[in-house]
Amino acid sequence: MLTLEQKLEILADSAKYDVACTSSGVERAGRHGSLGSCSAAGICHSFTPDGRCVSLLKVLYSNACSYDCSYCVNRRTNDVPRATFAPRELAELTIGFYRRNYIEGLFLSSAVLGSPDATMERMIEALRILREEYRFRGYIHAKAIPGADPLLVRRLGFLADRLSVNIELPSAGSLQRLAPDKTRGAVLAPMRQIAAEREQNSRDLQLYRSAPEFAPAGQSTQMIIGASPESDRQILHLTQALYRKYSLKRVFYSAYLPVVQDPRLPAVTTRPPLLREHRLYQADWLLRFYHFTAEELLTEAEPNFNPYLDPKCNWALQHPEAFPVEVNSAPKELLLRVPGIGPKSALRILKARRMQRLGMDELKRIGVVLKRAQYFITCRGYLGAHGTRAEIAGALVDPKAFGVGVQQLSLDDCMPRALPDAAPELHRLTGQGMDAWQAARALKQEAVTCITRRM
Amino acid sequence: MHYQADVSDTVYRYDGSFQGFLCCVFESFARREIPAAVCTPQTEQLTLFALRNIPTDEQRARRVFAGVGRLGGQLRYRLTTAFLSAEPDKDLTLLRFVRRAFEAGPGAAQMLGDPEIAAAWALERAVNNEAHLLLEFLRFEERGGMLGAVIHPKNRVLPLLRAHFCSRLPDESFMIYDATHGVAMLRRGDEVRYLEMQDYAPEPNEAEENWQQLWQGFFRALTIEERRNPRCQRTHCPKRFWPDMCEMRQPPGRANRLQADGGRPALAGVPDKEKGKAAFP
Repeated sequence: MLTLEQKLEILADSAKYDVACTSSGVERAGRHGSLGSCSAAGICHSFTPDGRCVSLLKVLYSNACSYDCSYCVNRRTNDVPRATFAPRELAELTIGFYRRNYIEGLFLSSAVLGSPDATMERMIEALRILREEYRFRGYIHAKAIPGADPLLVRRLGFLADRLSVNIELPSAGSLQRLAPDKTRGAVLAPMRQIAAEREQNSRDLQLYRSAPEFAPAGQSTQMIIGASPESDRQILHLTQALYRKYSLKRVFYSAYLPVVQDPRLPAVTTRPPLLREHRLYQADWLLRFYHFTAEELLTEAEPNFNPYLDPKCNWALQHPEAFPVEVNSAPKELLLRVPGIGPKSALRILKARRMQRLGMDELKRIGVVLKRAQYFITCRGYLGAHGTRAEIAGALVDPKAFGVGVQQLSLDDCMPRALPDAAPELHRLTGQGMDAWQAARALKQEAVTCITRRM
Repeated sequence: MHYQADVSDTVYRYDGSFQGFLCCVFESFARREIPAAVCTPQTEQLTLFALRNIPTDEQRARRVFAGVGRLGGQLRYRLTTAFLSAEPDKDLTLLRFVRRAFEAGPGAAQMLGDPEIAAAWALERAVNNEAHLLLEFLRFEERGGMLGAVIHPKNRVLPLLRAHFCSRLPDESFMIYDATHGVAMLRRGDEVRYLEMQDYAPEPNEAEENWQQLWQGFFRALTIEERRNPRCQRTHCPKRFWPDMCEMRQPPGRANRLQADGGRPALAGVPDKEKGKAAFP
């Protein structure tokens, strides 16, 4: 018999590859007689040594899976310890952690325990106890299990704030090859249902203010990057289609960590493509907050992101005709295209320029990253800065790709190494025995030269 | 205004209260001058400038505050929030900010490019950011049916934590102890009080330690070793918060082993004084 502590560790360990640990999208004040509140911006409560945030109690309800997806640690044929929560146990754990301000709420997913319907019923029971008996008003993110009955998905939606269905792999072919128990249709059906229910619910809420809310924080999904051969362009187009068609709130990417030796998968020694994941997230932000489209960011001729430039800088370098932008008169959409100006500083510029003419000093106080922006803007008609091509390339190149640092894994370990999210080329050079700092400098030099030549 | 000629060679000294500060603004406005410095008994330094004591006058303070209120809620919020800052020269920054705002009118809230306004805005952001980090990293412990937490903030952020936790825990009694400034916020029933406190050392409690162990176990299990990136962790969660967060303290076994090896203690970089304060018996 497992203790609660062992169970928690097993089920948290199995859930750690789920990346959707956010608590944003719904604002709900506390109320007497219940416990908890939600903040629309989301709150992170801790950060693990891998730099990822802990916002929710992220656990699986059970990791005893009856499916056999080859990329997954919990697949039936893998020899790992198995555990399953009891509904009340999970509810008590959530409340205990929540009161101590450890977490913002619960993230509940599950392996397929027998059948999708049986799994969903037990998850719903745990959430019902939490919402109705403990009167919990904090955040709940629940995963809908593909293949479950639509009625169960509907019940889950009225208990949770956010629902998500994992699309797992970016194309139907890869899904069929690596996860033979799941089909594209079974994944997309609940997604479509949730989108429709939310639309219906928003109409109901307009008519009856007290109508119960269906997944008020919307739905999200996640996919694994690097386990299958899709290009960045395919992934980004899929993302855009998901945002448009199913009005998703977020699409998450998870760099594939080889957990198993399988001829269909990359070798176990492959590094997780963390920089690629980072570039995809940057592009995802550009889609959601910067009015970019997937077609603008990647083309057929260049289907993958440049590892040394972020997608926005890359776009700016390829479109010199769009610049310079006059900060004192340009509309918001154009300001957002300038490298170094984000949604926050664009909004501040719009406000501040109603009161005063903006120059470089003012922009600096407003919070614009002048290092990158200065080459792309004019203030009162004057160019922010004149730079040679090499200087501009040097300012735009992403320092993250050349990250080197001491990662102290034990006490006597003081060797500088390439950081995990540095460019793959840097890992290759240091792997060959080159000094990390030297390799980073040489690689940066080469990247700058290469970018300069293309400008 | 704000020509160099307006800056007089006097130093204002007030009692450190918000009312006292508003009286400094009144004085500066009435005499048409900007003092060279503003100090409180705590921040006072030997100076060649003439020192002028500004008495705290309730009436004057109220007049100035009403004036700030007429400039709009955003500017008033900026002033009251930035005043919680622990920056040593915040008084002069804020005095110049209020004078500038009176001169420019309600639009001053948007003039983020202006040096005086931007300086106060930076103070406001620093205080708000720290308060937000504490909403995240504050850890309660249940002792005797009541939740208690210890924090070591730079700024006096307790008033900014109040609304969030009162809304989140509507039926709980709790106390948050600001160990840097020796102030505690006590919430009981529907009442919130601020108390001066020298020390907070609750009794050890087995049930509570169990909860902390569960949380530490969960935290350990969540880490993906292949993605290990301590620098990223420190960027998001600065080390100065770690002594107050139970999952960041190493489990006792490991800490002892490091000490015995003559290695670094579990929390290198944290001053000894703070370590003592953070560790509960």
